[in-house]
Amino acid sequence: MMNSFTFTRRLLGAAAFAAGLAGLSAQAQTTIVVNGSGGGLAQVITKIYEEPFTKETGIKVRATAPVSLPKLKAMVESGNVEWDLTELGGDDLLQARANGWLMPVDWKVVDPDNKLPAIARLPDAMVTATFSTVIAYRTDKFPAGKAPKNWADFWNVKEFPGPRSLQNSPVGNLEFALLADGVPKDKLYPLDVERAFKKLDQIKPHVPTWWTTGAQHVQLLLDGEVVMTSVWNGRISPLRKEGKPVALAWGGGQLQLSYWGLPKGAKHPAEVFKYMSIRLDPAKGAEFVNQVPYPGFIPGLMERLDPQVAQDLPTYPANVEAQFQFDPGWWAERRAALTERWNAWLLQ
Amino acid sequence: MSRKVARTILLLAPGLILIGFLFLFPLFGVLKLSLFNPGFTTASFEKLVASPVALLVMERTFILALTVTVLSVVTGYPIAYYLATSSPRWRTILVYLILLPFWTSILIRTYTWMVVLGREGLVNSVLQWTGLIDGPTQLLFTGLAVHLAMVQILMPIVIITCYSTMIEIDEGLIRAARTLGATPGQAFAKVFLPLSLPGVATGAAMCFILSLGFYITPALLGGRRNVMLSNLIDFEVHQTLNWSFASVLALVLLAATLVALGLFRLVAPRRRDQG
Repeated sequence: MMNSFTFTRRLLGAAAFAAGLAGLSAQAQTTIVVNGSGGGLAQVITKIYEEPFTKETGIKVRATAPVSLPKLKAMVESGNVEWDLTELGGDDLLQARANGWLMPVDWKVVDPDNKLPAIARLPDAMVTATFSTVIAYRTDKFPAGKAPKNWADFWNVKEFPGPRSLQNSPVGNLEFALLADGVPKDKLYPLDVERAFKKLDQIKPHVPTWWTTGAQHVQLLLDGEVVMTSVWNGRISPLRKEGKPVALAWGGGQLQLSYWGLPKGAKHPAEVFKYMSIRLDPAKGAEFVNQVPYPGFIPGLMERLDPQVAQDLPTYPANVEAQFQFDPGWWAERRAALTERWNAWLLQ
Repeated sequence: MSRKVARTILLLAPGLILIGFLFLFPLFGVLKLSLFNPGFTTASFEKLVASPVALLVMERTFILALTVTVLSVVTGYPIAYYLATSSPRWRTILVYLILLPFWTSILIRTYTWMVVLGREGLVNSVLQWTGLIDGPTQLLFTGLAVHLAMVQILMPIVIITCYSTMIEIDEGLIRAARTLGATPGQAFAKVFLPLSLPGVATGAAMCFILSLGFYITPALLGGRRNVMLSNLIDFEVHQTLNWSFASVLALVLLAATLVALGLFRLVAPRRRDQG
């Protein structure tokens, strides 16, 4: 499954490269620099967003990578801002905002009709993608009509017997434990750490192994080593397309966001706002999400997708409703100490 | 005399350059990382002493290395003995049967154990088919799986070192013991066994030192308790980004290896023909 995906990406990359060469002759006045994660994802973005944008506006887009907060800091503080736009993770955004490294987004240009929901429309950033850590389970290991729906079910080893797996990290797992213990999803933060570890004590004997990579949780599930596990949603969609007996349960999923922001002192804000606005095109969005199941909050996107694809997305309305919004701000200062505690807890 | 010196330098140069660039130079970097952050600090060494996790992992690493070594020697020695006393033709075949898995990548052998020990794997299927157990039993992600795989991976080293010592033992000595009235058991215990001990010591030392640094096998086959020092180093490098502490742990591993090597040299019986 990985191979065919890689192959498609390569093919796209080659096509993008050829198209890029052809585009050199067009007279483009301005070049904007957009910093992202790079890799295969960047090739899909080039093909779907950057090239049509250059053709339409004459503005060239140069993609750089990787996402780096220290680099952003260096650019803003030295006044030598190379990027016009950069991707930011949840805790990156908080730090960048706190340090005043971002400039406001002109929503009158980017989204004049107010189409984006408030969650994606921040004064200094726009949500470009979403991904989730959710429950995946083997559909063939439970009787028909009986499937785990949320973390309370994940913890319920009597009704849903079988080994489970979770990520080897406190981040997310403390939230899952509290949800399983009955804490409402809007009252999670600040996390009750003691209560969470106490609840985790209950599931510990039923977790033979704690995964560290996305490939690993897929393997555990397919080999039948576990009947359910926490997963990154993007890893399961291709398995479902292949007809493997796996499904996602979105109840209590950890919805994580990734953002776009303009570094303070960026040289081409007007052009960048224009570029950001094409991210709102639902047709292009659908094309993108069909290849990478990490959608943003584009209005009208869901309607354009095959329902089979749509219901596996983190932003599918019913899925959004079922999940909690992860708070990277809470974790920022506590992560190191809690990871230490987590390791000691696992070794006991 | 000066020609002899030149010859020595020439012969040793490739090895020294290799060790200098690929071992000592990076080692210096590790040492620097452990003590400078960016100014001189012993914080990471203090953390080592104060960290219950690091101390527990160190303890478990040594215990695991020790049990794997003992098990490899106990199971490997009889095989080596059988090899040394079997006919030369048979012996060649057997040596290849032992070396073939030894030459196979550790990663592949570890994955094979996952297939064998998994819930839907060979052992569980057979046990359930014969009716010995009702449902699958947890074999993978346990200490048992780690021990099994590490002994399988390291036993050939013990076999080969023991075997090479055993075939040098003069059969006449055993025959002499027998003519002088020793039972076969006595001849083995009083003559053969002491003569074969240098091989056992070498094999055990190699087995122990290699065990200390095991990484992928406990990571893939072990449970949450089977964390080795190398796994903790990996965690500090990738997850917590505490490279200074990771360097301290790496130095501990190196120091432990050197101490183990020194101890084996002190304890190990010298070869008779040399002393």
